[in-house]
This record gives sequence, C-alpha cells and structure tokens, in this order.
Amino acid sequence: MEVPRRLSFPLVLPKPASSARSPLGAAGQTAGSSKDQTGGEKLISEEKTPESGVIVVVEAPPEDGKAARRFSSQDSFSEESSLSEERLEEEAREAQRRAEEEEAAAKERAAQRQQLAIQELVESERSYLRLLQLSTVTIRSNLQQQLQPPPAGLDSMFLHIEEVIDVSSRLLSLLDQKQLQFGEPDFPQSLCDSFLSLSSEMEAAYKEYLAHYNHVTEVENSYKQKEALWNEVVRVIKAAAPDVNATSLSFFLVMPVQRIARYPLLLQTIQKHTDASHPAYALLEQTAHTSVALNCRINEYKRFREVADKYRKTEMLTIKDKIVRLNTHSIAKKTARLGQQIKHEAGLKPKIGVLDVLQLVDEEFDALEGFFYVLENGILELLENVEMYLQHLQGFLSCRTEDFDLDMDGEKAPICYKEITTALRQWILPMFEKRMRKLIHQPLCALRDLLVGPRNLIRKRLDKLLDYEVIEGKPNLSYEEQAVANTYRTLNTLLLTELPQFNGLALQMMWSTLGTFSCLHRDLAADMEQLFHSFAQQLPHSSLSPGAFWEWAESSVLEGARRLQHLCRMVEDKLNAPDAQPLSPSSQRRLKQLTDKHGSGKIFQVMSTVVGTRDLDLNLTKGELVAVISEADSRGDRRRWLVDAGGKRGYAAASKLIRYHQPTDDPPPSPHPNLTEDVTTRRRHSYSPAGNAPLPMSQPCFQVVGAYDFTARSKHEVSFRAGEPVRILEPHDKRGSPEWSLVEVRGGQRGYVPSNYLAIMPVGAGLPPNPGFFL
Amino acid sequence: MSWIPFKIGQPKKQIVSKTVERDFEREYDKLQKLEDQTKKLHKDMKKSTEADLAMSKAAVKISADLLSNPLCEQDQAFLDSMTALDTAMRRMDAFNQEKVNQIQKTVVDPLKKYSSVFPSLNMAVKRREQTLQDYKRLQAKVEKYEEKEKTGPVMVKLHQAKEELRPVKDDFEAKNKQLLDEMPKFYQSRIDYFQPSFEALIRAQVVYFTEMYKIFSELTDQIDQAGLTDEQRERETEAKLTELRALSIVADD
Repeated sequence: MEVPRRLSFPLVLPKPASSARSPLGAAGQTAGSSKDQTGGEKLISEEKTPESGVIVVVEAPPEDGKAARRFSSQDSFSEESSLSEERLEEEAREAQRRAEEEEAAAKERAAQRQQLAIQELVESERSYLRLLQLSTVTIRSNLQQQLQPPPAGLDSMFLHIEEVIDVSSRLLSLLDQKQLQFGEPDFPQSLCDSFLSLSSEMEAAYKEYLAHYNHVTEVENSYKQKEALWNEVVRVIKAAAPDVNATSLSFFLVMPVQRIARYPLLLQTIQKHTDASHPAYALLEQTAHTSVALNCRINEYKRFREVADKYRKTEMLTIKDKIVRLNTHSIAKKTARLGQQIKHEAGLKPKIGVLDVLQLVDEEFDALEGFFYVLENGILELLENVEMYLQHLQGFLSCRTEDFDLDMDGEKAPICYKEITTALRQWILPMFEKRMRKLIHQPLCALRDLLVGPRNLIRKRLDKLLDYEVIEGKPNLSYEEQAVANTYRTLNTLLLTELPQFNGLALQMMWSTLGTFSCLHRDLAADMEQLFHSFAQQLPHSSLSPGAFWEWAESSVLEGARRLQHLCRMVEDKLNAPDAQPLSPSSQRRLKQLTDKHGSGKIFQVMSTVVGTRDLDLNLTKGELVAVISEADSRGDRRRWLVDAGGKRGYAAASKLIRYHQPTDDPPPSPHPNLTEDVTTRRRHSYSPAGNAPLPMSQPCFQVVGAYDFTARSKHEVSFRAGEPVRILEPHDKRGSPEWSLVEVRGGQRGYVPSNYLAIMPVGAGLPPNPGFFL
Repeated sequence: MSWIPFKIGQPKKQIVSKTVERDFEREYDKLQKLEDQTKKLHKDMKKSTEADLAMSKAAVKISADLLSNPLCEQDQAFLDSMTALDTAMRRMDAFNQEKVNQIQKTVVDPLKKYSSVFPSLNMAVKRREQTLQDYKRLQAKVEKYEEKEKTGPVMVKLHQAKEELRPVKDDFEAKNKQLLDEMPKFYQSRIDYFQPSFEALIRAQVVYFTEMYKIFSELTDQIDQAGLTDEQRERETEAKLTELRALSIVADD
C-alpha cells in the first residue's frame, strides 16, 4: 500500500504544506483529503515523539533515496539533457531535504495544532465546569441567603444542572486519571475513550437540561420584570463572579446548551489536525460522529418534549372560554376531523395507511392504547377500592369497643379484652393504616396523576391522525400541512416508543403494590395473633380445645339467656302485670258496661288526652276506657278507629289507644269487699236491660250517698245533702260525660249531680239503709 | 279533667323509711349505669362487627375487580398473581364471616338480650313509683279524715279512704320488697353472664388471626418480593415513579 502512495507523494507535496499553513479550521474538506495523503508520514511521526524531527530525517534516507531514484528516473525521461546528473541529484536532494523539512515542519505544525485543539477542549471544559459550579454553588446559595424571601422558582432553575456538572467533572477526571500531557500521542485515544464511555450519560444529562431550559429562561424573565429583585440578583451575581462579566443567571445557565453543541466542533477540529494514519484517527472520527448524533438525539428529544408538553395537559376551560376560542379555523379543523371519523365509522375509507407498514404500526398502536386503557381502568378501580377499604378501616377504628364499664374489674376476660382492644386501636391498627396509606394509597394516587399525560396525548394523536389523513394524499404540502404531518408523526413515534415503557412500569407498580398489600396483611395478622394469643393464655378456659371451648361458650351463653329470660318473666309477672291502681268508680262502671257490650278483647285505654279536631272525633281524657267498634273510619283510614266511649260514639286516633288488660277476667277474691263490682252491677241494672240482675245478697250491704252538700243551680240539677242516700238512674249525662250522673233523691226528685259528689258506703256504717231506694 | 275537690297534701306519717329509699336509689342507679354501658357496648360491638365485615368485603372487592380486569387476559403471570390474591381474600373473608358469626352468637346477641331486660325493670320501678304516689296520696287523705271531727259524713269518707288505701299499700309493699330483692341479684348476674362472651370474643380472634397469618404468609411468599423494609419499598416506588415521570408523555408537574 505504501509504495503507490510514495510514488504520488512528491506531486502533491505542496498541498499538505499549504493546507497546513491555512488558518486553523478554515477548510475541513481539504484538511480531510490532505490527511489521507499525508497519512504515511504522520504515522511515522506520531509513532515517535512529536519532537523527533531529527530521527525522521535519519530514518528517511533509504526510503527517500528510493523515491528520489524513481523521481530522477522520471526526470531523466522528461528532461534528458538540460542539467548534469550531479546537479540534478543535488537539486533533487536539495528539494528532497526542503520537502522533508517542510514536511517535518508541517507535521510539527499539525501536531501542534492538534495539541492546541485538544488543549482547547480540555481547558474550556475545565473553565466551563468551574463556572457551572460557581453558579450552582456560590451564586445559588448567595441568592437564597441574601434575598429574603428567596425568589420563587429559584430551585427549579437549577433542576438538572447537577447531572450536567457531574458528567462534565467525570469526563475531566477520566482524562486526569491517565496523567497524560496534551501532546502525548495516546492522549487523543484516551480522550475519545473517555468521551465515548460517557456519551450515553452525557446524553441523558444534557437532554433533560436542554428540554428544561425554556423553563429557566421563563423564570428569569419573570425575575426581570420585577426590577428591584432583578437588580439584587445581578448584584449577587457580580459579587460572586467578578472575573467574568456576567450580568444574568442565564449567562451561566445557557452554558450547557452551548457546550453540548460545541463538542462536535472541537472534536472535528482535533480530527482535522490528526493524521489519517494516526492510531486514534478512526476513533476520533467515531467520536466526532457520536457527538453529532448525540446533538441530533437531544434536539429530537427536545422537539418531542415540546410536542408532548403542548398536548398532554388537560385544558381547563369553561364553556365561555371554549366559545371565545371558536373561530373559522378551529371549526374547519374540527369539522374535517369529524368528517374523517364518520368516514371511518361508515367504512368508506380504510383506516390510515395504504401502506402495510403503516397499518402494522397502527395495529401496534391500537394494542398499546387498549392496554393503556385497561391498565388505567384497573388502577382507578384499585385506588377506589383501596380508598373504600381505608374508609371501612376508619369506621372500625372509630368503634370504641374497649370503652365500657360493666363494673367487672375483678374478672380476667373483660380486662384482657380491654387491654387487647386498646392496643389494637391505639397502636396496631393505626400503624397498619399508616403503612397502607404510605405504601399503597399514596403510590396509587401518584400513579393515577401520571395517567393524565398519556391519556391526553392518545386523544390528541387521534385528532392529529384525522388531520393527517386529509392531507396525506396530497402531492405538495404547504408549510402548515407539513407541520401538521410532522406533529402527527412526532406524536405517533413518541407514543409508540414511550407507551410500552409506561404500561410496563405502571403494571409493575400496581403489581408490587398488591404484593405490599399482602405483606401488610401478613404483618398485621402476625401482630394480632401474638397479641391475642398472649392474652388468650391467661383466660380461665384457655386449656380447652377449640371444639370444647365453643361448646362451653355457647352452652354458657344459652344458660345465661335462659336465666335472664326467667328473671324477665318473673319481673313481668310479679311486678308489672297486675295494675293494682283502682279504677275510679265511674271507670269501673264504664269498663263493665263496655265489656258486656263488646267483649273484653275490644277494650282499649286512652294513653293521653285527645282533643277531637275533625267531625265525629271524640274528646277523650287520659286513662279513659273505650271499646273499639271498628279499626278504621268510614273511609277505611286505619289510623282512626270508631270507638264507643260508654254511650257516645265517635272516632279516635289509633295511636293514642292501647289495649286494656284487665287484671284477670275473674278478679281474685280479695280481702276487701268487691264493692265496685257490686255497685256497678246494680247500677247498670237501672239503665241497661242487658245487665245481670243485681245480686240479692249484696243488696243490703251498700248504699250510694251524697258525699258533700250539693245545691242545684238550674232546673236540670237536683240538690242533696252529704250523707243523704240517692239512687242513680244514669251514671252519665246526655252527652255521655261521666262527670255528671242522673240521680233520684229522697222525695222522687230527679236531676243531674256531679258524679264525684257521690260516695258508696256499706250499709250500717253510718246511716240506716233505705230499701226504698234499691230495686 | 277531673274536678279536684280538695288539694291532696303529703302524708305526715313516713311511709317508706329513709334507708330503704336510699338502698333502693343506690341499687337502681347501679342498674341504670349498667343499662347505659350495656347498650353502649352492644351498639359499639354491633358497629364494630359491621365495620369488620365491610372491611373484609372491601378487601374481597379489591381482588375480585382485579381478577375480572382484562389485564389478566394479557398476562399469565399477572393472572396467576391475581388468582392467588383473590383466593386468599376469599378465604380471609370466609374466616372473618365465621368469626363474626361466632361473635354475633356469643357476644352481640347476649348483649342485646341483656339490655332487653332493662325496659321491664324500668317499668317495674316506674310502677312502684306510681304505686308509691298513690299510696302517699291515699295515706294523706286518710290522715286528713282522721284529724277531722268524727261526724257521720267524715266517718263515711274515712272508711272509704281506708278501703282505698289498703290494697294500694299492700301492693306497694310487695313491689318494693320484690324490687329490693331482685335488683341486686340481677346486677350480680352480669358477671357470670358476660364472662363467656369476653372469652369467646378473644378466642374467636385468636383463631381468625392465626388463619389470617397462614393465608397471608403463603400469599406474600407467592406475590411479594421477600423481606423488603418499608423504606426499601418506598424507595422502589419512588424510583419507578421517577422513571415514569422522566417519560415525555407523562406530565411531570
């Protein structure tokens, strides 16, 4: 390979010299081609040390001699006679020497330039790093300390800069590790290695920073609008960095943006000044390409981010805002989309893509989209259920079941129970709840919030897809149409690449959440088991096997219930049943009368005084006895009952009536004479044909007498004196009121008297009986 | 309204001795407190078991909804996990149901039965009070006539009043004695009555949580990464969230 090159070498000899003399970086193209040709020499000089121009000269002669011989032979072909051989030889030698010198000088110059370029890269990297550190450490902390309150959003300005600093300092430290001088031939190699090894991290760090940079400028502009604040900021910056003429934060913060774009230039310069035969040449070329590709990817990423940022946010607009935003353009857009959609639905047009590839992509997207929706649904459902669970847990915690006092302090079981429940409510379950919230609920909430972006983008993609289809067929696209197509493609690519990652991660999170859920339950059960077990052993029946225990427990409970029932019955029977409060004589009479007429099952007692409000309603007093004739009124209203209140009839509210239980159907023989019974019996006889005949034996025993003096106030009433025997004709007035009784007094006078002016007394107790008044 | 001919005053004679009245009050107070506490405990227990059941049902719903989610159709491993989870939840629910049934039978129902005795006791006390009032009233009436001149009508009324008084007095005394007798006995009965309930309550939980522990240990081995601390879990979650937030399609604000 070397031989043909050597042959052509003298012809192109001036070229490398001239190109080498050209200003640095002026002509990459020529430099590239010249490098190819001068590769051989470079190789030699690079293998030795750069200063070894002498050695090159020493080593050169044999080769050069060969070349010169050929050269001279060529010459001898063209010009045979003009110069003597010696002179020719001398000249040739001279030329060769000059060429060699020039070549060596060129090599040296190139090596120097390479060295300079490398040096520039490294030095600039150092100062770049220094300034970045200055801004993030000194300026940032000064701003935070000296400005009170610290400006809003300050931290967000420095959000991704740490990663950038980190990757830059690592690059430098990698270079420093080798401890090579810039001029050493291994240096380019180690530079490239370092750069390549860090390139992916560099990309990750810078792409975030660059994507975020818009935000930085926004924040800074917001500071600039507040003059006082901005002056302060500038003052702080100047004080912190007096050596650089910095007047704004973005002076520093823009540096990574510039820096990442500068790497390709710097690397290309180094490559340009490196001989093609240099061992690191290929590597340098690769590195330069890498740096260019890196920049491209970062730009692409930034573009994606911008598109994504634009569409993923849910727009919170009121209807009014939406109407305001309507214009011909948006209407046309929406109409076109709608039309396209209808075409799809109607099957007039196949879904996008005449091309199979596109269709495939679309199917892939549909699958992703479907999975996303299912996942979203699952996450939301899970979150909802978890919230429900937590709510019930709260409910359980709010039951203070240990908070009772049955005065059973001497007993083991209640004490144990109280202690257990206290521990449970105050320690174990709150702990469980806290863990549930922290490890399950919160991550799920965070996950739910993250679903918004993809959901909006998926929707927007459909919109853009419809737009895209309209213009798809057109041969020439306007600038706007091009933009639409680009947006769609970007969105589509973005979703196709990132949605699978999103789905995968979200599913994993959900899954691990469930694992945590199970683990929390296990821990809870372990705690509880321990707690309950330790107390259960102290219980009196802890030695029983479960079967025996439950048998015992159930039978004891049943036994307890039986005893309780017994007690209850006893109380009912002995204490409650006989209502010994005697009925007033008139009530007794009423009872008898009603019982005879309607049967004892129909007797009800009025629970509270009723004042009739409607037609045919009765006014009833508390404790009054009535007989129910019908358990509904004439219209079938079951709340009003037709009752007989001892003569008068009318309606009464069912709710006020209670069944009257007579002590016993046959009153037991009591030590005291059964006077009321006898009296009513006899009394009734005077007006009730259905009544029994008065018992003859009771006849002489009792007598109704006036209890107080009473003076008639009208002709309907009749006067009598206390102790005067009277005969009762009717125990109520014409309207059925029992407060008045129709009586016949001595002398046959009849009239009404107050019922409570009358008394019953045994015959012979005070006054002699007057048989004339008895039937 | 009845027409009250004269005002009934308090009887001068002491009907019930102060000590008897005090004893009665004390016993009755104790019972009233017991009633309050029993009712409260019954209410709390009922609410607590209801919440317990609801919690268990909510847990079952978590797994059941996941199992019916189409996600399971796409991923066999996920389906397996969810099936295991659902089985565990259902088993837990079954055990919980059994526990609640036992508690219902041995704790809640007895509590309810116990508190159902109080109304009739209260009624008895009320009846006693009514009888006492009647007794006092009639006694006062008798005393009034006794103080009066022994004329014919007064004699009639005195006799009448005494006749009325006698059954009321007997009745009151019987009731009073009965209550003074029964109330302490009833109060004392609570210890034997509730003892088994509390024991059963604890035993039921022991059984339940032992089973729970078995079920969830198995499940955790199956679907959870073993032995992570809470901090590790948090960090892991945070890492995943960060990874998700780094995606362009995810809004990170």
